Amino acid sequence: MKNRTNKNVPSWWTLDNAAKIFPSTGSSHDSKVFRFVCELQEEVSPPLLQKALDKTIERFPMYRSVMKRGWFWYYLEDSTLPAKIREEDSPPCCPIYPSIRRSLLFRVLYYRKRISLEVYHALTDGTGALNFLCTLVYEYLLLRHPDEFPKPFPALPYDASQSQRQTDSFQKYYEKPARRLPGSSPAAYQLKGERLPRNHLAILEGRMPLEDILACARAKGATLTELMAAVFLLALQEGMRVRDRKKPVVITIPVNLRNYFPSESARNFFATINVGYDFGKGDGSLESVLAEVKRSFQANLTEERMREQMNTLCALEHSIPLRLVPLPIKDIVLRIANWLTSRGITASFSNIGRVSMPEEMNRHIHLFNVFTSAGMLQACACSFHGQYIVSFASPFRSCETERIFFRKLSQMGIDVILTTNLPSESEVN
Amino acid sequence: MFYCEKCGIHVSGSGKRCPLCQGELAGTPEEDAYPVIEEARTPYGLIIRMALFLTVAALAVCIAINYCFPESGWWFLFVAAGLASVWLVIGIALSKRRNPLKAIVWLLAVVSVLLLVWDWRTGSRGWSINFVLPILIPCMQIAVVATAWALHLRASDYLLSLGISLFAGFFPLIPLLCQWLWMVYPSVICVSFSVILLAALVLFQGSALKAELIRRTHI
Repeated sequence: MKNRTNKNVPSWWTLDNAAKIFPSTGSSHDSKVFRFVCELQEEVSPPLLQKALDKTIERFPMYRSVMKRGWFWYYLEDSTLPAKIREEDSPPCCPIYPSIRRSLLFRVLYYRKRISLEVYHALTDGTGALNFLCTLVYEYLLLRHPDEFPKPFPALPYDASQSQRQTDSFQKYYEKPARRLPGSSPAAYQLKGERLPRNHLAILEGRMPLEDILACARAKGATLTELMAAVFLLALQEGMRVRDRKKPVVITIPVNLRNYFPSESARNFFATINVGYDFGKGDGSLESVLAEVKRSFQANLTEERMREQMNTLCALEHSIPLRLVPLPIKDIVLRIANWLTSRGITASFSNIGRVSMPEEMNRHIHLFNVFTSAGMLQACACSFHGQYIVSFASPFRSCETERIFFRKLSQMGIDVILTTNLPSESEVN
Repeated sequence: MFYCEKCGIHVSGSGKRCPLCQGELAGTPEEDAYPVIEEARTPYGLIIRMALFLTVAALAVCIAINYCFPESGWWFLFVAAGLASVWLVIGIALSKRRNPLKAIVWLLAVVSVLLLVWDWRTGSRGWSINFVLPILIPCMQIAVVATAWALHLRASDYLLSLGISLFAGFFPLIPLLCQWLWMVYPSVICVSFSVILLAALVLFQGSALKAELIRRTHI
């Protein structure tokens, strides 16, 4: 590696389209950091994990980069900083980049059986980070059980060249849009309440059998994501005060653009859709909410709409006058734009989908899990080896929405196992 | 594993109460998936607060005394301006402490302005442009080079700071050429030292400096 990078002229990358907003809008209560967790069946061995990380990072050279502040944009620059694993000693998703300081944009933590990868969103999105974690766990298990996995090693499901991984797919698929999309959406219901001290996040992970919850969704003629979104909307609604009922409840759902446009990029490549329900108008039954969610999904999740959204976002970045605005002013403008967008959103739900590892390795892995900090209530879901996990990350002291959500699932006959980071002598109340 | 009757949900970990409804749990505890996080300590927070407190107290005493004995002139303004200057410098040093080169460049700029203002407000004797600034600027330039060397920084990490501090080294040319100075040696030395450093920078790190400027100014 050393010979390839010239010591004086490091390589550098502009931030991709989605990443451009994160450095400007991040703050101590919205760190733009997300965490992927892999829980193994046995305790993690730190020296082997460090070795595995050294091997993994060679395949993902962009993970070696630091963020710098230019005069017009932030950018990523190759660095020689070592990537060191650490025993988990900080609250989940605490800021990686509170100011422009020299550190890598991710951290690898371990605690007992868990390996956690925390990533700053400007570096990559969920899919990119998951590929990194899967590779890390793969390398770790090869080192941990050398006799069990003789050569040839089982193939990693993820295969991409370095330049494929470094591609900014937004640039690749951008076409000048013919028209702009209509402007801001109406204000949505906002969760309020006392926040946890020191910007901590309350994590509640609910683990359930994939088969049961899938059967439940099928019985209602919906996909798993649609069912979860509907139950989430209902849970949010039940916690509402009557005078808030005139506002719609809206959840935003990130969509992986790799499903619409071929890309192996390990950087950001996603868009979002909003799914809402106006409980002041509808009857508020699960059937009615589910029907609205399904309609919304069908209308929005088309290649056409995704292309439109992507082009609109990229058009801003391609406008020359905007590009010439100095960075400190861009920071302020992006903060205001972010605030306007967040007014139209109540909470967020990301479905990462199925995590797959080589079949031979599954018996060493207990679960995969994901959650993110967003300054608002945020749910993430993923499935692995017959288990489905929904994790809530919340900045609030009260967990009413989570309680209603998980109770609704258990009322449907789903067996939920809950794990939390809240202290035993719960601070809640 | 625990079980919450009211929620109908299993709960792992060692907590005794249901995290959702805070009800009693039945079952056996397990090990927690998350560590208990120690509260982060801020060792300098208290010192800074103490210093700020003493500053405010001293200022209050000065104003009180000055108010009782006004015949000596409003000297408390000097005390206030002096304390404000000191705190401005401390504040910048603290806020940029993670990036020492940035701290040096910022301090160079702010201290220079403060010195000029103090010189002007205390009788315009010209000590700032004759002596202090032409000596301060080369010291800051040396500090940049020394920091970069001591921290083993890569060219891209120090080139811009060095460039800016070298640029500052040419400011003493203005009073020099306008013949405002009664003592020219420090300014002459400052400018020629900057020329030498700049020549070294351009000749030995020119391409790296150019690449850094391209990165920093990409649109």
